[in-house]
Amino acid sequence: MTGALALSTVDLVIATSLVLVAGAVSVALRLGLEKRLAIASVRTVVQLMLLGYVLRWVFAQELAWITLLWASIMIAAAGRAAIARSSRTYHFIYVRSFSTLFVSSLATTFTVTTVIVGVDPWYEARYVIPLLGMVLGNGLTGISLTLDHLLETLDVRRAQIEAELALGATRWEAARAPLTEAVRRGMIPIINSMSVVGIVSLPGMMTGQILSGEDPVNAVKYQLVVMFMLAAATSIGCILIALLSYRALFDAAHRLRADRIESR
Amino acid sequence: MGDRLVVDRLTVALDAGRRARVSTTIASGLVHALAGPSGSGKTTLLRGIAQLVEPVGGTVHVDGESPEVVGYPSFRRRVVYVDQRPAMMPGTVATNLAAPFAYKSARGTFDRKDARGRLVRLGLPAGILERDASKLSVGEQQRVAFVRAASVRPDVYLLDEPTSALDPDAAEALEAMLREDLDRRGAAALLVTHQSAQSERLASKVVALEALDGPS
Repeated sequence: MTGALALSTVDLVIATSLVLVAGAVSVALRLGLEKRLAIASVRTVVQLMLLGYVLRWVFAQELAWITLLWASIMIAAAGRAAIARSSRTYHFIYVRSFSTLFVSSLATTFTVTTVIVGVDPWYEARYVIPLLGMVLGNGLTGISLTLDHLLETLDVRRAQIEAELALGATRWEAARAPLTEAVRRGMIPIINSMSVVGIVSLPGMMTGQILSGEDPVNAVKYQLVVMFMLAAATSIGCILIALLSYRALFDAAHRLRADRIESR
Repeated sequence: MGDRLVVDRLTVALDAGRRARVSTTIASGLVHALAGPSGSGKTTLLRGIAQLVEPVGGTVHVDGESPEVVGYPSFRRRVVYVDQRPAMMPGTVATNLAAPFAYKSARGTFDRKDARGRLVRLGLPAGILERDASKLSVGEQQRVAFVRAASVRPDVYLLDEPTSALDPDAAEALEAMLREDLDRRGAAALLVTHQSAQSERLASKVVALEALDGPS
């Protein structure tokens, strides 16, 4: 491994000029995006620089509780992001989103770091945090899509679901089709990215490792582990959030509680 | 035969803090009509009796058994609610009619011949079984929904304006089919209708709902 070529401040300034080109295009074509582009660019710089310094500190501590605390902060933010864009919501949706990501992301991340990669000690932040980040990024997309589709279906097809309940269906029988569709919807992005990986897209982590001087074959092996980890985490996440929402929106008397779904 | 449906001060919540309450006891073979002005909660009360919305008070029993004892899915099969604008499940009319027989609470098996005969009696063509249920007119869906409910052989029908989109002939045929089912099997029915003539033809008693204001 030769190590990555270090980037100087000048290199970063040159990279910034690439964004300026995008800004210039926006002005020339009167797209009106230059202000949003500028804000987004500043946010990207500030957030990533802050992250760099925080991660440097977290990595240096080598303490289990610090790794777990940072992981919890990441999960809390991902849990919020997973429900932020949905047009419908229900009571305590955040608790369910957080719990889902907590279980699915930590279970898969620690399986990979301890069982497959063999990280020692188990809490070594240099491995746990980046892998957890990838799991959460994919997991929250899956959960978000699952939730959005499930709540929309239960709301829009309420009459049809109630017709089934009225004819003696159990809540599970009436909910099964919407639940299956919602989980399928949540799983589509990860399945798509698994289908085209290496052909259309070079995954970020693999690219990063190759840029850092890692042997491409070794980088591919890591990427394989990561892809399967992401698939596992996303499927567990989608199924879990669907089941938790099912429990929240169908009561013990086998009623659809559409009154608990709120638009926003 | 004795009392099939006993509704004792069953209360449902409506909007703006309003509530509606009803009590009635319907014996085998009889129909009661539920009366009240538009928007007074008749539909919600029927849905409350069927336990599709959670009642805020009161009880309901079918043949002396509560929904908690019978189990909610089995209770709804015995006390079946038929919506005024019935929702069709995806697929053909035949799929819709067979669906209730795939549920865990199912009793008996789907009798396709019997279902076709009922549809024809209600003025629908025999070929309707193969048509996409979602593409039917409201009047056709009302008749399919009634046959779908009748096929599960309920003890009690909760009928919400069951003939509102039907022409007089089809409405008469549906009433005759209901009457026949009540007489033969001893089922009972609670009917919501805006047609006073229909109420007079079918119902032995008109039950008025109580409108309650303020918190429960």
